[in-house]
Amino acid sequence: MGELLKNSIFFSDQHLCHADILPPSEVRARIEVAVLNFLKNLNSSTPSVADLPLISRKMSNSRVSRGLLIESTKIFLSHSFCTQSLMNENTANSFIRVWKVMEMCYQILGQEKKVTQRELFYKLLCDSPQYFTSQSQVNRTIQDLVALLRCSRYSLGVMASSRGAVAGRLLLQEPNQEVVDCSACGSSGYAISGDLNLLEKLVMKSDARYIIVVEKHAIFQRLAEDRIFNQIPCILITAKGYPDIGTRLLLHRMSREFPELPILGLVDWNPAGLAILCTFKFGSVAMGLEAYRYACNVKWLGLRKDDIEQLILEESLVPLKPRDHQIAKSLGSSEILQVNVPNAMIQDNYKEELAFMIHSGHRAEIEALYFHGYDFLVKYIGKKIVQANYI
Amino acid sequence: MEGTHSSSHRFDVLKKIGELTRSIVEDLCNGRSPTLQIDQFSSYCTDASGNCCCIYDLPKGKELLMLRRESQARRLDVLLRVLLIVQQLLQENKHCSKRDIYYMHPSVFKEQSVVDRAINDICILLQCSRHNLNVVSVGNGLVMGWLRFAEAGRIFDCINSPNTAHHIPVHVEDVEDIISVSEYILVVEKESVFQRLANDQFCRQNRCIVITGRGYPDVPTRRFLHLLIETLHLPLYCLVDCDPYGIDILATYRFGSMQMSYDSKSLRLPEMRWLGAFPSDCHKYQIPQRCLLPLTAEDKQKAKVILSRCYMEREVPYWRSELQLLLDRGVKFEIEALSAHSIAFLSENYLPSKIQGGAYI
Repeated sequence: MGELLKNSIFFSDQHLCHADILPPSEVRARIEVAVLNFLKNLNSSTPSVADLPLISRKMSNSRVSRGLLIESTKIFLSHSFCTQSLMNENTANSFIRVWKVMEMCYQILGQEKKVTQRELFYKLLCDSPQYFTSQSQVNRTIQDLVALLRCSRYSLGVMASSRGAVAGRLLLQEPNQEVVDCSACGSSGYAISGDLNLLEKLVMKSDARYIIVVEKHAIFQRLAEDRIFNQIPCILITAKGYPDIGTRLLLHRMSREFPELPILGLVDWNPAGLAILCTFKFGSVAMGLEAYRYACNVKWLGLRKDDIEQLILEESLVPLKPRDHQIAKSLGSSEILQVNVPNAMIQDNYKEELAFMIHSGHRAEIEALYFHGYDFLVKYIGKKIVQANYI
Repeated sequence: MEGTHSSSHRFDVLKKIGELTRSIVEDLCNGRSPTLQIDQFSSYCTDASGNCCCIYDLPKGKELLMLRRESQARRLDVLLRVLLIVQQLLQENKHCSKRDIYYMHPSVFKEQSVVDRAINDICILLQCSRHNLNVVSVGNGLVMGWLRFAEAGRIFDCINSPNTAHHIPVHVEDVEDIISVSEYILVVEKESVFQRLANDQFCRQNRCIVITGRGYPDVPTRRFLHLLIETLHLPLYCLVDCDPYGIDILATYRFGSMQMSYDSKSLRLPEMRWLGAFPSDCHKYQIPQRCLLPLTAEDKQKAKVILSRCYMEREVPYWRSELQLLLDRGVKFEIEALSAHSIAFLSENYLPSKIQGGAYI
């Protein structure tokens, strides 16, 4: 039965686990329920210390859902649990850490405040130094708590920065504020806020025909400055590197509001660039419970194999580093790029491109296109769009 | 979209490029080897006693670039190629980054650093700043608070929502109409501290402008600050972590960096005061002992390097003694440690008491 479900191309929603975006009062309620459960177990006729069932965040529990009629694929975590138990020596400390963080978040939400992960680390360090020694431990425990309570990290009161920016033919209005015209925001664009609630409430209007997702800040700035959206009616969006939740949320909202607009990705030709594209497109296992929610159908505009062969000078190619090979390996073996599913032409193409990248042993940056002149980038994008040359 | 201010600059620079080229051509026509005199600037030297004669705005010496050796000939070749690209950019009023310029002739340039040095040399020869050559970099800074300004037609009205972050504009030369009702400008090192202030609605209780460079400040952030100080003449405070890297960032804001030393006149901020955090704040503000982290070997090395800079003793002896105290104690702490007991401690206690108490150096 499990095998059947795994191979099925119908994705049944009841196996999908997601993290809800909840107001503070509801999160506190969930924490209270967890505590009451624990006490109930302790007080029952056969007293025991309840285990914590967390949604397992391992590759083995990740499923890839492939839309049948719609071209969308997403990673989600299924209902496989890993339990953390006080009785088990290996997980005893993690067990306690989860409760400690839960307590801290409860207090923070009660004050109606938000903290950064670093601040949470210091609070825990002061409060319970014997259990918390490093920032990464705290981060993992926060993810454990997300997996336990099934609510988003932001709902727990942990704020994260947002590096994203938007520019182009888009009008945004925050509640009770004036309308912001993203084409008049200068070369830095409109800063995407880290406040996910605010992003949910933004009102959007656009007359663009495309949405272009840009990996790097420098390229985004160049395109915004050259006002590419006056020549090609588009919206530019960037996360300035690995996509954060805020940027992905906004992109997802745009894809819902303007479903006819193709979303095109412009990344460097290296495994990290492709990994970034795939994160926008499918989500990621690490942020498993929150990931699928924001997956969008992003198509790969460039740089691709054909561009490397036709447009990039050999001197502009840089050899791949060991880290690139690592990223390529994990990307290649990840389920989303497996090709044993019918109609998976996209995955075919992506795998081929990745293989060619590794085989050539080189990578290239988008700036290498400047060899053909400093206005070449806009022409390149325009030509590719007109030819519908994206996968 | 551009002001007349910047287009007159453009023509000035183009004229200078023309003159420079003409002098080289004249030399060649008369059978002389072209010689370029490039001034050498340095933001500081390593005379820790401060008895050196380092003055920021004046060059320390000259470097002669002639066609005597192959390495110099290559350097001149690179310089002229970059100059040609810059001329095209200025004539068509386009912009490029240093990386973009590298990719235009990767086989000749071979490395990014070669292009970077050529751009620095050109700035020194033409006595202008990098942005005058239409060579730009990305801007990473954020600003919020009681400030209103216009950039290329768009109005940044931070006053309306003083706790919302805006990106600092990259083309600072296009910023005009600066209006502010602040009492001071607060620069914070890290974005997370900036977020804490925004979340605490710091600018609601306090009439100020808050800026962050998100680490080591980039050129647009420093230019923007410089412009604000020139226009508004407000007190300028800096809040960094109590560790050698924080102090290095503070020093970069105040004295400038080595890479941009030729332009330090328009980038450094002599009015900047160190608000916190000091090693001596540990006791005064009861920072929990557990939040004090030990200095690593790199931290100690960094601290020693900063202590050896001439400006520390000469200009900011109080900073020097605090840094020495940090090194002696062997522990550091971050601003976030202040939130350990109470989340709003930074906004409600620490900052107001420091600013009103005049506890800055």
